[in-house]
Amino acid sequence: MKQWIRWSGLTGFLLLTALMVSFFMLLAGPLIKGAIEHFGSQAAGAEVSVADVSISINPLGVILTDLQVADADQPMENLLQFDQAVAQLELAPLLLGKGIVRDLSVENLQFNRARQTSGALTEQSPSGSDQQSADQQSIANEAAQQSSGGKESALSDSVSARLPDVDDLLAREPLKTEQAGNAVQQAFDEHQQAINESMAAVPDADALASYEDQLTALLSTDIRSLDDFKQRKQALDALKQAFAADKKAVAQARRVIRQARTDLAEKLSALKAAPSEDLATIKSKYQLDSRGAANLSALLFGAEAGEWAEKALYWYEKVKPYLASEDSDATSTNSSTTAQREQGRFIHFPSDDPWPEFLIRRSRMTAPMAGGQLAIEASDITHQQAVLGRPTHVVVQGQQLTNIEDLNLEATLDHRQSPAKDSMTLNIKDWRLREANLGVAGTRLTSAMVQVQGLAIVSGGRLQAKADAQVSQTQFASSGKTQFARELQGALAGINRFDINASASGDIGSPNVTLGSDLDKKLNVAFQQRFKQKQQQLEQKLTERLNAKVQSYLGGSAEDINRLNQLDGSLSDKGAQLESMAASQLDDFEAQQKARAKAKEEEARRKLEAEKRKAEEQAKQRQRELEQKAKDKLKNLF
Amino acid sequence: MLTMLAKLLKALNSESAPGQVALAFALAVIAGLTPLFSLHNLLVLLLAFIIRVNLSAFFLGVAFFSGVAYLTDPWAIRLGESVLQQPALIGLWTEWYQSDFWRLTAFNNTLVMGSLLLSLLAFVPVLVVSRLLIVMYRDKLLAWIEKLKVVQVLKASKFVNVYKSLAD
Repeated sequence: MKQWIRWSGLTGFLLLTALMVSFFMLLAGPLIKGAIEHFGSQAAGAEVSVADVSISINPLGVILTDLQVADADQPMENLLQFDQAVAQLELAPLLLGKGIVRDLSVENLQFNRARQTSGALTEQSPSGSDQQSADQQSIANEAAQQSSGGKESALSDSVSARLPDVDDLLAREPLKTEQAGNAVQQAFDEHQQAINESMAAVPDADALASYEDQLTALLSTDIRSLDDFKQRKQALDALKQAFAADKKAVAQARRVIRQARTDLAEKLSALKAAPSEDLATIKSKYQLDSRGAANLSALLFGAEAGEWAEKALYWYEKVKPYLASEDSDATSTNSSTTAQREQGRFIHFPSDDPWPEFLIRRSRMTAPMAGGQLAIEASDITHQQAVLGRPTHVVVQGQQLTNIEDLNLEATLDHRQSPAKDSMTLNIKDWRLREANLGVAGTRLTSAMVQVQGLAIVSGGRLQAKADAQVSQTQFASSGKTQFARELQGALAGINRFDINASASGDIGSPNVTLGSDLDKKLNVAFQQRFKQKQQQLEQKLTERLNAKVQSYLGGSAEDINRLNQLDGSLSDKGAQLESMAASQLDDFEAQQKARAKAKEEEARRKLEAEKRKAEEQAKQRQRELEQKAKDKLKNLF
Repeated sequence: MLTMLAKLLKALNSESAPGQVALAFALAVIAGLTPLFSLHNLLVLLLAFIIRVNLSAFFLGVAFFSGVAYLTDPWAIRLGESVLQQPALIGLWTEWYQSDFWRLTAFNNTLVMGSLLLSLLAFVPVLVVSRLLIVMYRDKLLAWIEKLKVVQVLKASKFVNVYKSLAD
């Protein structure tokens, strides 16, 4: 038996074992450091550096100091960094090559911090797909920059177009006022000539006075004789002809003037209506109403919400491959069975303490934020949740935050079954928002109290997310000098509370994000008032300017038209005067002749009657004498 | 490598018991066919050190059977899959799975389970066959080999010098 036992071999075995442990202890740190930097850089596409990696024996663990992961898109920025991470490992699984971390604590986790040197990988030449992806990303970034940079100008331009400058607008638009004014001017010129021609034939005041004198001379004295009468009659007839001709000229002039007046009145009416028609056209064309502001809140907050969503999706996409569902896990193991024959696969049986290939049982991180810090606790982080039988839980809690009373985010990443289901709830209480730049026209939300509730679910690559925010005690300020900035400031001044409702749905890679808010309605109302006020001002200005244009078109013509009106009235008087003169004087002359004839006739009649009465008296006297004589004769007879 | 081969030849040509060399080969089958960094191989290594087996033969055998393992691994994995998923054995495996010790053995790995079973099955045949071959070698082949011209030439080479230095 002694021949078969070699006790010195035991010493050799122990020495070999000690050598292996020493090798592990001495080289594990540098090996882990090299592995993290090499494979981390490959995974991140940018430099990953660790200042130091050390191994602790009791408890068994790894301590990473000053880890920095550069941002592949922005090499002068770190995607994330932390001061120190301490991972307590479990020995038994480690001997099987399984990384089971009992507790991971990360101190001072920070995102998007500036680097002193570029984190770009100089040695790595990107593959075609990577280059294409980088190009696409570059284009996307450029587009995003253009979008964000051009947002203000686009919005400003958009709304500026709705609030145009009066001078520009009047110069830009084909105005009916101008057309109507030109028509009035042209018509007046045409009528003016006709009126002047017709007025030339109309007797003036001197002529009418002469007529008066002539008539007086003819009719004021008595007609002395028949010859005198005949002479006067001839003169009067001549005057009557002159009156008739003048009356005809006056009538013609009045017709011309009436025609001009009618025509000009129509055109003036059109000219007077033109400003309001122009105003209506301008209003319609430039939408001087509040409809254009309907989605203003989406324009105001949409880009920022988009950025947040983009960041969230970016990190989700980064994490997602490490949280593969059971389905994909099975696929990978199946493929590994054929590709890696030497390794086989682990078949897991029901257990209270399963060992996935990699597991972080509990993780605690702190990240500085807003004067305090975010305490991030995650449990059961593994890419083999089906093995573990539990989903990954993440709880983010705000601590001593200056501006937030309470922040709580809970996420459950359940990849045990296919399709995987990830859910997240977010609650922010009393978020005292200060100096939030709205990114539009220098407008800032100087202070507000915000309450946020959010829920997001990702299942089968489809995202369903909803978030509500109640923003109260709002105060806005603007340093913008543009008209739009003033209008926006004016509209926002009257709003002290609004709600925001955001939702996202669809494919996780390109979700359809909508952002609604009753700020729309409130801005709508505010803008309606502002637009109404602005509209009134603009209308007033336009009206004044258009009226000025009307006046400029009319110019002295208005006075001429007034003069025409007066002339028409004067002509009317003159005509009536002529008519009256002619009629009344002629009537007097005939009456005189008739009166004279009547007087003569009356005198003759009176003479005749006197003679007749005398003759009758004489006849009666003679009759009485005859009767007396008869009686006397009869008496004498008898 | 030459030193190890020389040591093997020395062992083969020496007065060492054929069983010691054969046992080294048999243990090497286990360490070689199964994944090297397994808990059971620590036991195999311990046995190889404590039991007076020829270590040169053991390490050479490990190297040899590790190469052979590339051929046998697919069979071993298939066997491991079959055994680990045997309904009759599920209870046993589940019970073992609750123990950290058994899990440290990686018994639930298909390759470990399959290759360990294969190597254990091969252990006795390899032990017996290799022992027979060693005896035959010493009885019949050693004298015949010594007479070969090739061996004469080799004796003048570095290899032989190494062999001699070890023999001395």
